[in-house]
Amino acid sequence: MDKLIILLPATPLLSALLITLLADRARHRIARLSVGFSVLTFLLAAASLAFYLTEGQPQWVAFAPGWGSLYLDPLTSVMSLMVAGISLVVHVYSVRYMAEEPGYARFYILLDLMATAILLMVAAGDLVTLLVAWHLIGVLLYFLLGQDAARPAAQRYAFWTFLTYRLGDLPLVLAAVLLYETYGTAALPTLFERIAAAPDALTVAGIPVLTVVALLVALAAFARSAQFPLHTWLPYTMEGPTPVSALMHAGIVNAGGFIINRFAPVFVHAGGVLHLVFAVGLVTAILGSILMLTQNDIKKSLGYSTMGQMGFMFVECGVGAFSLAIYHLIAHGLFKGTLFLGAGSVIGNARKHDGVPHDDVYTFVVERKPLAPRLPWVLAAVITVVVPLLVLGASRWLMGGDSVGEQGGIILLFFGWVTGAQLLFATYRLRVDSPWRMMVMIILSLIIVVAGYTLIEHGFDLFLYPDRELSERIYAAASIPLATFEVLVMILTAAIVVGWIATYYAAANGRAHRSSDASPLRLAFYSLISREFYVADVYAWLTQATLGLSRRLNVWSRWV
Amino acid sequence: MTLLLIASLFLPLFPLSIVLNGTLTTLRHPAARGAVLLLWPQLGIGLLQIAQHAIPPYFVPWALLTSGLYALRLLTVRDMGRWAGFLATSGLALTWALAAAGADRVDLHLFAFWFSLPHALMALLAYPLTRRFGAAYAGLQGGLIGHLPRLSGVLAVTALAAVATPPFPGFFGLLHVLQVLDWAGAVAVLAIWLIWGWAATKLMQGFIFGAERMESDADIGRVSTLAFAGMLGVFIAAGLYSTGGGL
Repeated sequence: MDKLIILLPATPLLSALLITLLADRARHRIARLSVGFSVLTFLLAAASLAFYLTEGQPQWVAFAPGWGSLYLDPLTSVMSLMVAGISLVVHVYSVRYMAEEPGYARFYILLDLMATAILLMVAAGDLVTLLVAWHLIGVLLYFLLGQDAARPAAQRYAFWTFLTYRLGDLPLVLAAVLLYETYGTAALPTLFERIAAAPDALTVAGIPVLTVVALLVALAAFARSAQFPLHTWLPYTMEGPTPVSALMHAGIVNAGGFIINRFAPVFVHAGGVLHLVFAVGLVTAILGSILMLTQNDIKKSLGYSTMGQMGFMFVECGVGAFSLAIYHLIAHGLFKGTLFLGAGSVIGNARKHDGVPHDDVYTFVVERKPLAPRLPWVLAAVITVVVPLLVLGASRWLMGGDSVGEQGGIILLFFGWVTGAQLLFATYRLRVDSPWRMMVMIILSLIIVVAGYTLIEHGFDLFLYPDRELSERIYAAASIPLATFEVLVMILTAAIVVGWIATYYAAANGRAHRSSDASPLRLAFYSLISREFYVADVYAWLTQATLGLSRRLNVWSRWV
Repeated sequence: MTLLLIASLFLPLFPLSIVLNGTLTTLRHPAARGAVLLLWPQLGIGLLQIAQHAIPPYFVPWALLTSGLYALRLLTVRDMGRWAGFLATSGLALTWALAAAGADRVDLHLFAFWFSLPHALMALLAYPLTRRFGAAYAGLQGGLIGHLPRLSGVLAVTALAAVATPPFPGFFGLLHVLQVLDWAGAVAVLAIWLIWGWAATKLMQGFIFGAERMESDADIGRVSTLAFAGMLGVFIAAGLYSTGGGL
């Protein structure tokens, strides 16, 4: 078992070393070698998960007295399998995709090193190993994104990514130093035991040390997972090769959710920080979704979609549903990886068929088809509001009533309701031949998705957090005062109702599709979105100001 | 106190850092620069031991200011020899934080070595660049990775080692410094580390990436590549061994 854990990150490392030595060989041999090692890594990850399921006990393996250890627990085993799986797909995809590109061997070396670093991160058994792996991912990503050395855009955005990642590295280093200074150990299992034994050990400037540590870890997670306002690098990483985009959006960007789960025993004592995580996640999810809708480039749109999804992942962490965040990141990784790798085909198809639905006038006059009917408005509104609530409530009830009593569970139900309502709302606006059939199909899909999601999340929670007390304490830490909670729920409900009324009003006045009468406020909002909230401009200005200061300092002190 | 001030010439503090940087500018041969970068701080630590004098509290903020100043200046320096000198000044100034916290002699010597070896290698790497292009100047020739992949690889890895990227030993030295500093000091050191990383990417973009502007030239030989790679490999192994990890 010990050897298996060590072999997991060592296998891609060995592949990278072999390719370095055989870099002069034919391209297909290099690719074959790397893919072969990737298959082996995937099998090892699957075996480690199987071993964990058989033995059922976490294992900590140290290979040095100071630091350098690996830790196999449910989180590690699940994440390793996911990382190894996505890495394998990306390796296979790159064989032909990168075949005509310069630096083929270099690309595979970097890809293998990246797999090593990510596997080391998810399996790190102590703070220093975690820091080393965490930093290496940022460095390797810089070189992978800048694979096309001659493209200035690729270099520019690789640099932005590197700088944001390095910015996020700093709080994690501070958190590690603080934990080590306070609890006298770097080994994660021992550290978590000591935290449980003495959660109020010290304070930093009057703030409990665990609150400070949780805040620092959350900041590191924000930068790694593109949370607002540290998101600007993510949509532009499309300048890198497509396989790297897929690897990044499917795996690397999820590290924020992973690190929060890894430090769950710290977050149990930092409810305030979980609220911050929730707020940042919510803002990111909303802004990411808005920006996604306004893009006309499929890859950039997918980039902002990832940002929104990462926001949802942090919302889940913020309400205490840590295991759900891990399930979400795995599900998102799989579908986003597929979307990226398929983006080329979509672009190819779009060149043949634009896929834009014709408007009502075109359908009626040119195609000579009658306008498709719609469901009665009031009935649609009732279905939109009631059906998701019934589906979600029934699913939760089937899984056992406890989680419904938790605020996190209610918030997630609420989000599910909003999402379901949005889906049905979109269906209502579609003009289809058989609206009743469409509505029934959508409701059936909703039931399958929600029931499946709830079932898997429940199983996932039992697997990742077998210590039920810890899971319940996370939910408790994430809870907010009841009055605040009820006000928030009312505000969100009111927002949905107002949205419906506004839609009805617009439809009744025939303004749903008219764009000529855009108000100045709307135009200002659109220009704000089109400039991506000016965040990147602020960073660019700060960068230029720092470089200007550096130049002036060099002139002033040229003799010293 | 006099001995401490003399030590400040070797573990450079602004404006006494003029001596180290002036010496590096005067020396034309990269090997000589490399030797100075390796030996200079070890002399300073030797002087510190001889001085046997408690380090006044203002030396630590002075060292942090020096380190920050040179890190900032590093961002717009394009000559590689000078870049290595500025980075060395920024990194070695941090030795004072460890010395003020009472770190023992071996730790101080090792800390200075972890920082100065990659700087010395950077200074050495200026030689093959100067020989091929007349100057080791970032932005003068771009896209070296296209026709000089070995030199580019060695340059990239050495630059990463020089800015204390893990798993190079400088990173563990930096962790040691963070442990002995207070909150404000630790944040300052991390900010300096961030700027080093930024400067390293700027340097790499000036040499390694970008459009190729020169005709193809002979890359460095396999033996030289292996020598550099081997040295960096041993450097990592030594760092891991001394910090208690991995080996």
